[in-house]
Amino acid sequence: MDRLADWTIRIGGIGVILAVFGIMAFLAEVVVPLFTGGEVLSRIERTKDAIRGRVLVDKLDEYRTLSVALTDDGRVTAFHVASGRAIEARDLDLGGGTITSFAHLPVNGLIALGFADGSVRFGRLGVEVKVIASTDVPATLSDLGGGDSTDGRAVYTRLPGEQVRRLAVLAQLDAPQSIAAGKAIVGLDYRAGGTVERPSRAFVTVDSDGVIRLSNATSRVNLLTRQVQTQVATTTLPELPPGTKVSRVLMTEKADQIYVAGEDGQIFRFDTRDFAKPMLAEQLDLAPGEQRLTLLDFLNGEQSIVVGTSAGAVDIYFRLQREGARSSDGYTMVRARSLEPHGAPVMGFAPSIRTKSFLTADAAGNIWFRHATSEQTILKLDPPAPGLRYEAVVLAPRDDGILAIGDNGRYYNWRISVPHPETTLHSIFGKVWYEGYAEPSYTWQSSSGTDTFEPKFSLVPLIFGTIKATLYCMLFAVPIALAAAIFTSEFVNRQVRAVVKPTMEMMASLPSVVLGFIAALILAPIVENWIASVILAFAAIPLGLFLGAYLWQMLPERLALRFGGLPKFALMFLAVGLAGYLAWWLGGAFERLAFAGDFKAWANGTVGSDAPFLALLLLPLSFIAVSIGFGRAFGLAWRDLLRALAPMQAGMADFARWALLLALAILLALALAWTMTGAGLGPRGTLVDTYVQRNTLVVGFAMGFAVIPIIYTIAEDALNAVPEHLRAASLACGATPWQTAISIILPTAMSGVFAAIMIGMGRAVGETMIVVMAAGNTPVMEWNIFSGLRALSANIAVELPEAVKDDTLYRMLFLAALTLFAMTFVINTLAELIRQRFRKRAMQL
Amino acid sequence: MNYVERDATRSLAEALPRSRGRVTDIAARGEPYTWALGGALALGIVMIVGFLILVLYNGATTFIPKPIAVMTLADGAVVAGEPFRSESYRPGTAVLEKLAPETRARIAANDGYASRTLYRIGNYDIYNEDFRWVSDFEVARILYPADLIYAERLEWGPFIGRLKSVHVGGAAREAASIPEAELVRLHGEARARWQRLRGIERSEIGAVNHQIERERLAVRKAEIAHGAGSAEARQRAAEAATRIAGLQKEYDGLATEARRLREEDRAVRVTLAAIGGEEKELPLSALVRFYPANAISLTGKAGIYLSRWWEFLSDEPREANTEGGVMPAIFGTFAMTLLLVIAVTPFGVITALYLREYARQGRLVSVIRISVNNLAGVPSIVYGVFGLGFFAYVLGGSIDQLFYPERLPNPTFGTGGLLWASLTLALLTVPVVIVATEEALAAVPRSMREGSLACGASKWQTIRNIVLPRAMPGIMTGIILAMARGAGEVAPLMLVGVVKLAPELPVDGFFPFVHLERSFMHLGFHIFDVGFQSRNSEAGKPMVFVTTVLLVGLIFLMNISAIAIRNRLKRKFAGSQF
Repeated sequence: MDRLADWTIRIGGIGVILAVFGIMAFLAEVVVPLFTGGEVLSRIERTKDAIRGRVLVDKLDEYRTLSVALTDDGRVTAFHVASGRAIEARDLDLGGGTITSFAHLPVNGLIALGFADGSVRFGRLGVEVKVIASTDVPATLSDLGGGDSTDGRAVYTRLPGEQVRRLAVLAQLDAPQSIAAGKAIVGLDYRAGGTVERPSRAFVTVDSDGVIRLSNATSRVNLLTRQVQTQVATTTLPELPPGTKVSRVLMTEKADQIYVAGEDGQIFRFDTRDFAKPMLAEQLDLAPGEQRLTLLDFLNGEQSIVVGTSAGAVDIYFRLQREGARSSDGYTMVRARSLEPHGAPVMGFAPSIRTKSFLTADAAGNIWFRHATSEQTILKLDPPAPGLRYEAVVLAPRDDGILAIGDNGRYYNWRISVPHPETTLHSIFGKVWYEGYAEPSYTWQSSSGTDTFEPKFSLVPLIFGTIKATLYCMLFAVPIALAAAIFTSEFVNRQVRAVVKPTMEMMASLPSVVLGFIAALILAPIVENWIASVILAFAAIPLGLFLGAYLWQMLPERLALRFGGLPKFALMFLAVGLAGYLAWWLGGAFERLAFAGDFKAWANGTVGSDAPFLALLLLPLSFIAVSIGFGRAFGLAWRDLLRALAPMQAGMADFARWALLLALAILLALALAWTMTGAGLGPRGTLVDTYVQRNTLVVGFAMGFAVIPIIYTIAEDALNAVPEHLRAASLACGATPWQTAISIILPTAMSGVFAAIMIGMGRAVGETMIVVMAAGNTPVMEWNIFSGLRALSANIAVELPEAVKDDTLYRMLFLAALTLFAMTFVINTLAELIRQRFRKRAMQL
Repeated sequence: MNYVERDATRSLAEALPRSRGRVTDIAARGEPYTWALGGALALGIVMIVGFLILVLYNGATTFIPKPIAVMTLADGAVVAGEPFRSESYRPGTAVLEKLAPETRARIAANDGYASRTLYRIGNYDIYNEDFRWVSDFEVARILYPADLIYAERLEWGPFIGRLKSVHVGGAAREAASIPEAELVRLHGEARARWQRLRGIERSEIGAVNHQIERERLAVRKAEIAHGAGSAEARQRAAEAATRIAGLQKEYDGLATEARRLREEDRAVRVTLAAIGGEEKELPLSALVRFYPANAISLTGKAGIYLSRWWEFLSDEPREANTEGGVMPAIFGTFAMTLLLVIAVTPFGVITALYLREYARQGRLVSVIRISVNNLAGVPSIVYGVFGLGFFAYVLGGSIDQLFYPERLPNPTFGTGGLLWASLTLALLTVPVVIVATEEALAAVPRSMREGSLACGASKWQTIRNIVLPRAMPGIMTGIILAMARGAGEVAPLMLVGVVKLAPELPVDGFFPFVHLERSFMHLGFHIFDVGFQSRNSEAGKPMVFVTTVLLVGLIFLMNISAIAIRNRLKRKFAGSQF
């Protein structure tokens, strides 16, 4: 029994401690994959006997089972990737034409062919995927291995639960449309849109004479007869400089921008928003010097353009609106990202259809898997055979496989795993230039409705939000909590303390969801309505208390001694209450005086002057300065004078001195404020800006509720733990309670008090519900006290319930939790070390 | 002389007046500073007391029936509603321009502020809003007609208007011609019928469905165990088919009964007319309660006040949680706290025992202390993240693989639930128990331990019979404080199993009776949900206040009982000091 208890307790004890570190380890374990890049799981190579001719494009289904290649002779060949066996080969009916150009859209499998006779044909190429019941599968199948089998037309994959996946070739071609009579089409790009009843197509063609045409074909489908009527409108773009050899044509989704690239790297950007009047918007050289342009293509979403050159450079350009842009439409192409260059000319490119990942292949046979946002090269696949060049590289639709068709009669298939290409330390903590943004920024925007969205995972705005909330909260909470603790410990008697302390501690047990609710739904509208009064209250309450104190000093000594206990404390309540009431009452007048009668407009910077508010901010400093000045100049003389006077008269004299100094301080603050405003220094635009209802002021106040009791209790305990003999000795030497408190007790208990502040700060950093409810949750990075914020904790609470397990967002939120853990760990450990030191010191006394 | 004393004397020397002369002067008393300190304390107390009064006042007055004001506005429109709250505000310039000059002058004289009142106008299905601000300067006349009723409905929120007619037995009767007693009786019958109907639909049909689902799962389990199409699976499927056929018959019987009741229910209807004359016809049972708001007696008011409280405490929520009761949330909070205590007590106490009684006091123990204190400071949301990732996904996922393969891919334990929420909060509150227990153990005099050991008791016997009983008050305090902390936490629960509306309680009549894997409702989350995620936060506000009162009351009760238990047990041991 005894031994059993021994072991249980030992194991249990150590187990709990291990659990503590287990939390950290677990969080870290979830986070690590964000930074581990990717890996190649397997590689196979097979001979591509089935494919003849040069491959124009190759498509792969999302299960990486069947691949469909289109060659320049118009032949479509489907082959089973794992075994290399040909499944089906058919010739598209080209009507005897010769393919001279080709375009395809990776996202939806649309293709366009340009012919030597000046016509174009559109179509679709891909893999058709269907899930059928196992009873519908043809009886005679030949096995392909790995659970796949074929009947010579389609591949069948067995699935769990009596189901079978059927994969077959999808290839179709529409009727030709003549665009450039007799001239071969050498460049082509194409986008489709419209509705089911009225599909529309936009396409741009370049013929062998260098004439660029933009055509818009609108089809009308007769719902009864299923007949299709097509109308084509064509416009000719401004001519290129003579001698330009067009190597690439690109068009955006809405057909409002057309990029034409010459082989020498000259890019011509046409603005075609006005279909009737297309214009050359911009011309620039993307491959300077001897380089040739070898790659120009869109990333998924068509916001970024990837540019590759014969020197191996891979850059990403955005079209951005810029002041003073040297273009006719105000936009200009900006090189936003420079990626790791290849050692050989860039030859192949394949974008992901879900993310901002893409493949680049070079002439030396290297294939690199990259990600545009994080600018990292995640996988580098070495050439499987020396001197190999690829005819086509394909990225599997789920970014989990790469198929490369070599010119050596073989093809290669890698199975890869790149779960989190978008995150690096730099993309999480550094500035990133996101698509469509004017400049690099710290941004958190984790999700949106579309596939083409670029997720923005910067923790910096969230960490900033946490720090901002904590800072403003501490500015409010620390003075109140410490002052209250000193007063409780040094100036009230035992009975009062026995009531006051539990009352303040009761505040600690208020659930933060309640505080958040009151702050957001009750306090925020009130503060918004009475903002001038609230600001005034920050000045009025301290002033009211000082006024009360000077009035109290004028009391006859006998009365002052008699009512020095509870009645005096009650008067302090009264002073706070009266000052608060006064602030409320004078709010309107104050708003007219300082904020031109409309605080919100003032905060926006549209009306009024910075000076009055700045003066209010400067008032404490200027008062301290004036007091010190007075003390230096007349301090001793004044004290001698006070001693010479009768107590009541001394009180009056002191009051007069205070009033005078306050007046001087106000004048000084105003003068300073005017000068500073004149010099262009003002709080607006930084500390004060546009007012929103759920703002940091409200959050700071509500979090103060949560933090004040913690700081108060621990600080009060620390002050109270100062040995009684020190207090007694100080008082016996003639020091007043105030002198004892501030010069003896506080310095002795300093480390305990400091620990209290640190622990309070730890709580503020991790506070969740209040920030979720009252902070508005906008991840902005500004110090404006009247704007909202999004803290790490709130972000986790809001986004984690929606995150998919093991997704990038899921792991990012774990990283946010780990960051929070680390922040509080540092703060708390520091506090604990200080506290232990304090305990040791206290023991010695 | 050590460091501190040196320090102290230096400060003292600085503090003492440098000039000679009489006693201390007035400046040395530091009166203004003292007042600043005291003022801070006063402010703190004002904040907490004000806060409590705000919550208590709003919570306590929410259920009091208020009169219905019928206002004729300056533009001739008639608005009927329950006054909700008043405030002063600044009308926009567009509004001001339309006003009469004297009204404008009056507002201008008041710094541009005018006062307005928010009225609950109800009838959401007619007006598309529940509340309406009415500025004082808009009102031409206010009346309080006696025949207006305030009717709480099952759907669409309250109805404010007149009771026009009642249809019973196929005939419509003017409401005015029906004696009040009969109306009350009819309403009582209708409600009883509706309760019966709900009982059949919920529990009886629910039980049948539950059994059918169990049969289906059993077949699936057999298929997984023996392979689909195996003899065992086929046999099990045949058994299930016969049982399901029997259950289906039972289901049909219940469904017929329910249909009959619903027809009866629909036969008793009531027509209500809004103040503007718009009429609404609905079953009498759809009225939860109704009363003539302006003609009700004081006892009637008290009755409605109490009945609303009772509904709040005992019923389920309706109308997206903004009306009805919070019984499931109370139950969920209670169940979670109970599980939390069961989980946290052994771990906390054992760790404290280890730290205080078993471990050698040294560097390791001080590191452990630092980490325990650190744990207390880790933000609760981090525990939530851990709970979701580790408990729900890792542990729960494994449990599902092992024990509930037939339900996959639907998770059983592999998602947030009561058990995981309790364990997460247990982890969160373990430091509270450890610290409290440690302090309690440290307070047991060494002499008692030595006495026991000297008498020949073993270490465990000493701990069990001497140390633990003496430390009990401290341990109890720690546990209750952990409960209070746990009951008030919401952030981690949002990640590990709290939902806005749980269809089933975690305890019910189906084997194994306690369903720890189920998600649950929680008072704290209820506050967040109703206040922030409902259609109209204004409509939810009263509910939030009442829930807040309940939650804060619960937590204070726990805190106070912690103090009371500590004091009582302290007294019990006070006499036996060695």
